[in-house]
Amino acid sequence: MQKLLLVRYGEIYLKGQNRPYFLKTLVSRVREAVRDIGGNVWLHDARIFVSGVEDMDECIRRVRRVFGVHSVCPALALEKDDFDLLLCTAAEMMEGLEGTFKVEARRSDKHYFLDSPAINARVGEYVLENSCGRLKVDVKKPEHVLSVEIRDKAYLYSRVIPAVGGMPVGTGGRAALLLSGGIDSPVAGYMIAKRGVELVAVHYYSFPYTGPQARQKVLDLAQILSGYTCGMRVYVVPFTRIQMEIHAKCPDDYTTLIMRRYMMRIAEIIARREGAMALVTGESIGQVASQTMEALNATDQVVDMPVFRPVIGFDKIDIIREAEEIGTYETSCLPYEDCCTVFTPRHPATRPKMEKILAGEELLAQEELIEEAVREAEVIDL
Amino acid sequence: MIYLDNSATTRVCAEAVERMDRCMREGYFNPSALYGPSLEVKEEMRKIREKIALLVHCSGGRTIFVSGGTEADNLAVLGLTASFRDGRILYSAGEHPAVKEACKAVKGLAAEEIPYDGHGMVDLERLEKMLGDDVRLIAVMQVNNESGAVQPLSEIGRLKERLCPRAFFHVDGVQGFLRIPADMKAWHADSYALSAHKIRGPKGCGALVVSSGTRLAPRMLGGGQEGTIRSGTENTPGILGMGAAIDAWPGADGLREMKEALFRGLKESVPSVEVNGPDPMGPDSAPHILNVSLEPVRSETMLHALEGCGILIGIGSACASNKQRVSEGLRAMGISRPRAESALRFSLGPDNRPEEMAETVRRVREQYDFLSPYTRR
Repeated sequence: MQKLLLVRYGEIYLKGQNRPYFLKTLVSRVREAVRDIGGNVWLHDARIFVSGVEDMDECIRRVRRVFGVHSVCPALALEKDDFDLLLCTAAEMMEGLEGTFKVEARRSDKHYFLDSPAINARVGEYVLENSCGRLKVDVKKPEHVLSVEIRDKAYLYSRVIPAVGGMPVGTGGRAALLLSGGIDSPVAGYMIAKRGVELVAVHYYSFPYTGPQARQKVLDLAQILSGYTCGMRVYVVPFTRIQMEIHAKCPDDYTTLIMRRYMMRIAEIIARREGAMALVTGESIGQVASQTMEALNATDQVVDMPVFRPVIGFDKIDIIREAEEIGTYETSCLPYEDCCTVFTPRHPATRPKMEKILAGEELLAQEELIEEAVREAEVIDL
Repeated sequence: MIYLDNSATTRVCAEAVERMDRCMREGYFNPSALYGPSLEVKEEMRKIREKIALLVHCSGGRTIFVSGGTEADNLAVLGLTASFRDGRILYSAGEHPAVKEACKAVKGLAAEEIPYDGHGMVDLERLEKMLGDDVRLIAVMQVNNESGAVQPLSEIGRLKERLCPRAFFHVDGVQGFLRIPADMKAWHADSYALSAHKIRGPKGCGALVVSSGTRLAPRMLGGGQEGTIRSGTENTPGILGMGAAIDAWPGADGLREMKEALFRGLKESVPSVEVNGPDPMGPDSAPHILNVSLEPVRSETMLHALEGCGILIGIGSACASNKQRVSEGLRAMGISRPRAESALRFSLGPDNRPEEMAETVRRVREQYDFLSPYTRR
């Protein structure tokens, strides 16, 4: 008898001819997730199995958060020919449970001596007899389901633990995430990565207005995200000079917007260098002045690639809930600010005029500023 | 690198490192054991206890070794008030959280804040009005960690003796010990807390000195070490390191001269500089702490800018949440928010050199000139 984890995937089922490619990627992602706890991962008969792990709870915790995994089931594998052992194991597995149950057998080995309804009946009867009256059969709405799968071996499990879903990272291309120290951008990155997209993070650093702790906070956030994405490259872009120039030369109410446009331009250059095909931001309509419809239009216009804003329709409270769920909230709430308030105008333009933006930008040595920022960017691989 | 954040912690002196190293390699014995080598350690600890008690003028008193300033303050506040069921505790407005929070945690007793004047000194007139028979404990620090204000402990002690002689008086000496004289007898103080890592000793070690006859309830129960007041095997490397650091503290540390030079230089470079605390050239200002505001440049910005030049300082206003929160010590002095948000704390130690003050002044001026135009409009 062997303890293992049966890993079930969701959406990949719907794939046609390239399903093997998605599956292969998913297997690698699961393998990476359990590598350092000694897990053995293999694909057999449309199921992914993990065995050889001593700490099953830790194994479940890790595999559940691999994008592409729909659910996981801690299971027992035994020789299918010993049906008495199978019955005993089934009864043991249901020991201590109360209420209603049913057995759900599935037989991919069509030469097995019993068919699925017969397995259901035999196993169900045995479990019922050994439950001392605590269990009753209900095939329509059971509280517990004991699954029996007859494949190369017999696999028994009674717990199905939902996992994160999505698509395996690496199957959906690559995008550059504008990562601040706030709550929204890590959530945005997570949502895009969940669709199988690899991420490169771009962070703007305003030393001395923000310090090494603010920088570390962003790297910590990237580290948390990289737990889902199997590593991540982070660009820390020196941004102080650009902010100072904008502050000194541009109209006050337009400084934030012009700054946002610079951030987008730089991110696009880095994205192209990294082979990324889109930008990801944590913007949500109307949350702050730079996120009004007009402002979003103005920032979109400077780049020539799609800008994904997965939390665009979220309320702040929803974003916070998601951040808590994925484990970035606490870090995002650390006090070190990412964009110093010195450069935040008291009354930013919420309905900006394009000619005013352009007039402001005219005053800046745009190419030189951008070129310098990209050149001086620090690259960190997590 | 120029290190001017000695009130946060200090670099451990070579003598302490050497003594700790020897203790861990050779003198590692449990001082409670019965064989000879452990008696040697115990004997060394006894000498350090006596030395500390002598330094703070507490003859006949006890020195209890603890894990640092916070534990010493907690032990004093909670241990001295354990037998009371009602009454009041008074603590000064700028006390360290280790004292404030402990005072607020005492069950059944009301904790009240003694106000500061505009220079960060305990307001003696208002204190006098607060004193009465029901006061169980007064806690006032020797030197304020932010402003460097040296509190009028003798006057406070005299007031206490006159108006509530039965009240206990605890002094948090973490920022004062060795840098200015301490005199528990003259202050009528019952306990005095100190920390090793502020005086070039190791972290994780400190002491509470308790005057003779003062009863203290234990806060840590167990094997009965430290006269049953503080159980747990003694941190012998830390204690011996602290002893070595005390011995190695220079007689003429040059702190006041350097601080005055730093202040003069800053005043010449940035005439709008404002002092947060007592006159840095006067007797109420500790020799090693200078707190100034250089508006409109914010504290954190200047801190990081100086960090970029290899100079490490502290700031008076720490942000405790996403909102900038003005430090309680500065708020207690009635300092405005913008000024508090620009506060810088330079704190010196014996390792600093006079030429470092000149370099610091030069860099502050350079960064101030560069940054001050970029302020929120």
